[in-house]
Amino acid sequence: MALEALWAEKYRPKKLDEMVNQKEIIERLKQFAKAKAMPHCLFAGPPGTGKTTAALCLANEIFEGELAGNFLELNASDERGINVVREDIKNFARTISIGKVSFKILVLDEADNMTSDAQQALRRTMERYSETCRFILICNYSSKIIEPIQSRTAIFRFQPLNHEDIIRYLKHICKCENINYNEDGLNAIIEVSEGDMRKAINTLQAAAAIGFVDEKSVYRVVGRAEPKEVLEMIKLAWSGKFIEARNKLRELLINYGLSGMDVLKQLHKEIMKTSSLPITEEDKIKIADVIGEVSYRVIEGVDDEIQLSYLLANIALLGSKSQR
Amino acid sequence: MRLWLQKYRPRTISEIIGNNSAVNQFVDWVSKRLKDNVKKAALLYGPPGVGKSLTVQVYAEEFGFDLIELNASDVRAREQIMRIVGTVASQPTLFGGIKRLIFLDEIDGIEPAEDKGCISAIIDIINKSSCPIVLAANDPWDPKLRPIRDLCTLIRYNKIRSPTIVKFLKEICRKEGIVVEDRALTLIAEKADGDLRSAIIDLQIFTEGRRYLRFEDVIWLPTRNRQYGVFDVLKELFWSKTALQARLAIEKSLIDYETLKLWIHENLPLIYSDFNDLVRAYDMLSKADVFFGRMNKTQNWDLLPYTLEFMTAGVILGVKKKPEFVKYQFPQKLLLISSTKNSRRIRDEILSALSEKCRISRRKALTEMLPYLKTIIEEEPSIGKQIGEWLNLNEDHLKYLGLKASKLKKINI
Repeated sequence: MALEALWAEKYRPKKLDEMVNQKEIIERLKQFAKAKAMPHCLFAGPPGTGKTTAALCLANEIFEGELAGNFLELNASDERGINVVREDIKNFARTISIGKVSFKILVLDEADNMTSDAQQALRRTMERYSETCRFILICNYSSKIIEPIQSRTAIFRFQPLNHEDIIRYLKHICKCENINYNEDGLNAIIEVSEGDMRKAINTLQAAAAIGFVDEKSVYRVVGRAEPKEVLEMIKLAWSGKFIEARNKLRELLINYGLSGMDVLKQLHKEIMKTSSLPITEEDKIKIADVIGEVSYRVIEGVDDEIQLSYLLANIALLGSKSQR
Repeated sequence: MRLWLQKYRPRTISEIIGNNSAVNQFVDWVSKRLKDNVKKAALLYGPPGVGKSLTVQVYAEEFGFDLIELNASDVRAREQIMRIVGTVASQPTLFGGIKRLIFLDEIDGIEPAEDKGCISAIIDIINKSSCPIVLAANDPWDPKLRPIRDLCTLIRYNKIRSPTIVKFLKEICRKEGIVVEDRALTLIAEKADGDLRSAIIDLQIFTEGRRYLRFEDVIWLPTRNRQYGVFDVLKELFWSKTALQARLAIEKSLIDYETLKLWIHENLPLIYSDFNDLVRAYDMLSKADVFFGRMNKTQNWDLLPYTLEFMTAGVILGVKKKPEFVKYQFPQKLLLISSTKNSRRIRDEILSALSEKCRISRRKALTEMLPYLKTIIEEEPSIGKQIGEWLNLNEDHLKYLGLKASKLKKINI
C-alpha cells in the first residue's frame, strides 16, 4: 500500500487538462505545449489558484515527462540568499537543454519577494540566456515585479477559484478517500478558504482526521490553524500587561517562527474583527495607523521584536486611556 | 557638540600618545611587509582604549593607504570578511598604484561555533593577500585565535601610564579654556586604568557646560568594571540629563551597539511605568533600529551617529516621569534563542521537508501547511505517521508535531 501523503500534494493535477478553473489560461498554455514553444511568463494571482501547478503541468507536457536537466524550480523567498539563487539560475540557464526541445524551463516561485535590485539582475540574466532558457515567474502581486520584467513576459492573471469548482474537487477527493461529510461541512470549508484550493484541501484533510467532516470539525481545524497567541497578546497589552504581552510576542517570533510581517497581518485581522475586547471603533483606527507605520519599519529595520514592541506599547497606552 | 575624541584625534603617527615602541614596530613592519620579507600579517593586541585601531587609521591617512576596515565582532562584517577573500585581498594593488591596507578589528569577537569558516577565511586572506593585513584583539591568547596568531607578527600595546594621560587631559583643558584642579585629572586618569579613550570621554562629560573642574566634581566617578560594564552603562544612560551625556554613556561600553540595543529594549518597560513614556521611548528605539537597517543595507556608516543618538538620547529624554530604580535584566531574547535552539532546528527541518515536497517556501509552509499537519497527527496518529514517513520525518519531528510517545509505541507494535 502506498504511504498516505498530504492531499494537497497527492491531488495536485499532473496535466493541464486536469486543472480546475482558469480556462483561458489553460487554453493558451496548451497551445505552448503543442507548439513546444513559449515566451517568458509571469503567473500572478492569489495563493492556491494553481500557478505552480500550471507551471509544472506545462513543463511536463513540453518535455513529455523528461524533466531531469531541463527543468528547475526555485523559491525566491527562502533565506538561502538571493545570491545563491542567482548563481543557481545562471548555472542552469547558460547550459543547453537535453532532448528535443531547444530550451529549458526555470520556475521562480514567490518572485515578488525579491528586492528590485535582485530583479534587475534577474532581468539581465533573462535577457542574456533567453535562447536557452524560458522563465516562469510566479507571484501574488504583479505590481511588485519591476516593469522591465513585466514587459518582457506574457502575463497570466489567475483568479480565485469559484466555489462550485472547489466543491466538485473536494467531493472527488472525498470519494477517492472514502470520507464521510455533509454539505454544511464543505460549505464551511469554502467559507474559510476564500478561493484558495490548497487551504481548502488542507482543511478537508485535517477535518477528516478529526472524524466526520461537518461545520463543527471544520471550524475546529480553523481554530487550531490560527495561533491563539496573537489575540492573547493583544488582550494582555490592552489591559496594561506590557511585559507579558511582549513575552507572547517573543513566543510567536522565536518559538513559533512567524515573521514580524505575519504577526502584524494576524494582529490587524484580530483588531478589526475582535468583539472580545472593548476597543472602540475610533481606537481601532488609531491602532491601524500604528500598524501601518510599524509594517513600514519592519521592512526597513533589523529587529522585528523591537518594532512590534512599539506597537504593543501603543496598544497598552490606548487601553489604559479607555479604562480611565 | 563635537566629541573631543574626534576633535583631539592625532593626525599623524608622531602625535599618537603612549605606546611609542609598539607604534614604531608597526610602522617598521608595514614598510618591511611592502618589501615582502616579514610575516604577512600583524596582530596588534592589548587592552581597550590604548590606540591600536588609531595607529592603523592614522598611519593609513598619513601615508595615503586605502584602508579597508572591518569589525570582526559584528555579524554583518563577518559575512563581508568571507566575501572579501576572493576579491580585494588577492588583487595586486601595489603595481596598480593604490596602496591598500586591510584592517580586521576585534577578531577575538569571533565565535567559532557560530561563525564557521570565519577563522579559516581570515587565514585565507592572510595567505593570499598582496596587501598588508592588520588584525587587532584584546586577548590574543584565546585558543581559537591560535592558527591566526602563528601567521602574525605580534605587536603589544600596554596600558597608558597615568601621568601621560594627565598630561594629555591637561592639554585639552588648556585648549578648551577650562580651569582644572590637578587632583581631578589624576583621579580621572587613575579610574581610567590606562584607557586613554575613556579618560577623554569622562573629562568631556564632567566639564560639559562649565569652565572649571574641581576634585569634588569628579570624586563620585565610578570605576569601570569591564566585566559587568553593561550595568554601569545602562545606569549612566538611563539617568543622563543631557543628550551628550546619554550619547557618551555608551561610548565607554565594550559591548557592540546591536547588543546594547537589546539591553535597552529589555529594560525599557522596567524603567518606564507610564505608557506615554514607554510609547515615546519605543518610538525612538524603533527608529534607531530602522537606521541600523538602512546602514546594513547601504553600508553607509555615516548614519551611525544619528542612529546612536536615537538609541540613547532619544530614548531617555523628553519623558514625563523619572525612570524607576530597578535591577536591570539580561536580554531575554538572547536566552530564549539559545534555550529553544533545538526545537527551532526541528521546526525548521520540518518546514524544509514540507517546502520540498509541497513546492512552497518555508515561510508559507509555516502558516499554510504546518498547522494542518499538526491537527492530522494529533487526531489520527496512524495516518499522521504515514505522512511523516512520506515527508521523511524522524521521531523527533513527529514528537514536535504532537505525536504522543505512547501512541507511537502502539503503532510500532
